[in-house]
Amino acid sequence: MKEKLYPFHVSLLVYMIQTGVIIFSLPRLLAQHMGYNGWITLFAYTGVVMLNIYLISLVYRLSNGKSIFQIIEQALPKVIVLPLYFILVSVWTMLGCLVAKQYVFIFQAFVFPTTHPMFMKFLVDVLAYLLIIKGIYNISKAATSFFWLVIWTLLLLLFFVKNFQWVNLTPFFFQESTDFFLGGLSIFSSFLGYELALLLFPYVEKNKSFIKAVHIGNLLTAITYITVSLTCFGFYSFNQLQGMKYPVIDLLAQIKFPFVERVDNIIFSLFLFTTLITIVAYIWAAKETVHRVIPRANSKWLAGTIVGIAFAVAWIPDVLNEVELWIKYLGYMEIGIAFGLPLFLLIILLLSKGGKKHV
Amino acid sequence: MKKSPDVNHSTYANSIEPNDISSSEQEDTVPPTLGHTLDNFKDCVDLVYRTFPELHVSIVYFEHLIGNDEFTRDVIEPLTHIQQYQAQELFKRSQFRPITDSKELIKGILNGEVAIFHYANVYLVNVSKPKSRSIQQSETETIITGPHDSFIETATTNISLIRKRVKSSHLKVLKLQVGEITKNDVYILYIDGLVNMDYVKELVKRIELIEVDAVHDGNMLIQYIDDYPNSLFPLFSTTERTDAAVSKLVAGRIVGILDGSPSVFTAPSSFFEFFASPDDYYQRWLLGSSLRILRFLALVITLSFTALYVSITTFHYEMIPESLLLIITESRSRVPFPPLYEALLMELTIELLREAGARLPTKIGQTIGIVGGIVIGQAAVQAGFTSNILIIAVASSAIASFVIPSYVMSASIRLIRFGLIIMAGILGDLGIAIGIAYIVIHLSGLTSLTSSYMTPVSPFNFKDWRDMFIRAPFWAMRGRPSQSKSPNKLKTGMKK
Repeated sequence: MKEKLYPFHVSLLVYMIQTGVIIFSLPRLLAQHMGYNGWITLFAYTGVVMLNIYLISLVYRLSNGKSIFQIIEQALPKVIVLPLYFILVSVWTMLGCLVAKQYVFIFQAFVFPTTHPMFMKFLVDVLAYLLIIKGIYNISKAATSFFWLVIWTLLLLLFFVKNFQWVNLTPFFFQESTDFFLGGLSIFSSFLGYELALLLFPYVEKNKSFIKAVHIGNLLTAITYITVSLTCFGFYSFNQLQGMKYPVIDLLAQIKFPFVERVDNIIFSLFLFTTLITIVAYIWAAKETVHRVIPRANSKWLAGTIVGIAFAVAWIPDVLNEVELWIKYLGYMEIGIAFGLPLFLLIILLLSKGGKKHV
Repeated sequence: MKKSPDVNHSTYANSIEPNDISSSEQEDTVPPTLGHTLDNFKDCVDLVYRTFPELHVSIVYFEHLIGNDEFTRDVIEPLTHIQQYQAQELFKRSQFRPITDSKELIKGILNGEVAIFHYANVYLVNVSKPKSRSIQQSETETIITGPHDSFIETATTNISLIRKRVKSSHLKVLKLQVGEITKNDVYILYIDGLVNMDYVKELVKRIELIEVDAVHDGNMLIQYIDDYPNSLFPLFSTTERTDAAVSKLVAGRIVGILDGSPSVFTAPSSFFEFFASPDDYYQRWLLGSSLRILRFLALVITLSFTALYVSITTFHYEMIPESLLLIITESRSRVPFPPLYEALLMELTIELLREAGARLPTKIGQTIGIVGGIVIGQAAVQAGFTSNILIIAVASSAIASFVIPSYVMSASIRLIRFGLIIMAGILGDLGIAIGIAYIVIHLSGLTSLTSSYMTPVSPFNFKDWRDMFIRAPFWAMRGRPSQSKSPNKLKTGMKK
């Protein structure tokens, strides 16, 4: 019998897909776009994500364990299905590929200015390929192990308890906020990843705990983001925070042990694990979609081809800012998919249900 | 052996002629006759052939496979005290097993049974007692407290050691055979009611599918039956300790014994199981838990210490505090090689010393340790081949690798360390992270007898953590490990 994903693994998988390198710049984004005490808006984002997960739960309930592809293919003709799949595959592949490139660029900027980024990207893509071909059950197992290798780093925030100044938080809320809507979308994209739960329907036990697990995963992400952002808002002044590209990396650079300092290098290296799961999950989602169009294709070849295309596309953006711009626009598109796809599926399911009742 | 005066005794003389093993041993249609049997064992000078002409009886056996006392009691004594007309009655006794198949007869003789030919009838008498060493302490798995007896090369003795500790009719023993030529017996032991029978069926199926001429050791056998033969990690744990084997049985796992090997394998196994030692349970739980944590710390040290040295001294000098920076810079100032080559050179030297120490007799082995560790180490630093700090890093990771109780696992991890050092030399901390990610991805895909190798981390089972990463007090460890998928999940409540 095929092993099913346990709720615990679903939670950690969702957490690991959601969190990525954006955590290092999140406090700055919050300060820039949301203004003073911008970290509080994270509660609102969490609420919006929960609403989105609720939409997914409705689809899950009505789908009766069927995959979203089955739902779409049963209701729509191929002429509509194929372009839709093309959009999904493109966005997911590009997201996977650019997240990897962003990680590599940041690392290159800090440590390896002379190393070609595509060499590092190649190694990361090889890892991603090796994990994708193992299937979602093993991806979730790896995500669980990676989670334990990363989560302890949150404890490092305890170093800043002493230097945390409440006065930095100020009594003002959202003053000097700019670009509340589009900036807000950029911040919201840091929560993306939970929407891939739509693709997990056939791999989980049919019960309510699946949706609960997705919520828990999202809450874990929210707790992490809020803790990290609050620490940054309390440690740095508002103006400092606005001027730093990656405030969390700078924050970690402050930590000193008697035998080692500047642990930001090691911590950023560890975030390869969360980035890897994000890359793997999106490319796996793309692979699953392509598999629907070419069901007879060899899974390993398909994964290899998609990773290869992603690698080729990643040659195009030359600098980090360009990558971040691409990710910003892809993030907007993915937010559209995160809300649009469940709504679209709900409409299909309700219509088909209504049709059946009518018959 | 004392020979009776009225018995003719002869052995086969050497007459070297090529013989087709497959045809002589695999015939199964030939009736068991004396001529056919002697023909089968042609050129076997150790075969003993005796006759009792007055009884029309001939016997054939291997002298070194039988017990002298048993042979005298069950074969010689009865045959020397009867008349010819009583022979028929004698062979009705239960110790004389009638044989109709020549293949079974050959197998019996090879197993240390005595073949008796009386006219057209053939019997086998089990007086097998192959020579073996006595039960001693294990040299590969030494412990301080706890039982000191360990398995030896005789499977039946090993089973008796387990039976002595598990006085239950639920302890079941299955017998299989591997090796087309060596025909080694493999015994599968499990406790009925505690084991998941799906695992037993799977294991038996895999052993039956082995097609090879010879299997010499338990550690060799598991490579034929494990789920991923190309993986560097041992997927079944092996032990020479009887108490460890019994604890696995009670945990709902399966124990496999190969005749001729003191290494007993247990299945299914988890990666984390290799870091537990039986004496964790014989000490106070806080001490046992500390030791478990120490071993996992040793795993981290052995994997990353030298790699971190290479990474930091090649790419991340900013990570070294000012006070240490001077010492390290001074120490490295005379070394002409990049840190990667320096580290690989030292690691290779340590591995050479370890291998030399393992192959030499204990007394010379100690000398190698002194010569290698102190003389070469000191000289290498003075000559400017390597830095003091690296010597400390390499020695610490070598010592840490020896903390891991399983020799096979420790050796695997030492090899992986080289990969991490090379990655650290290429990409620094990122290289180490890529290496660790690869190890985790590889481990996540592994299974042991179809169950996840990474249990209880993934699939996650927090209850198991109490007997994996620590050794919780006994009252807190009430359940059997989830990996064994035992139908009887609780260790307690058995009296009811």
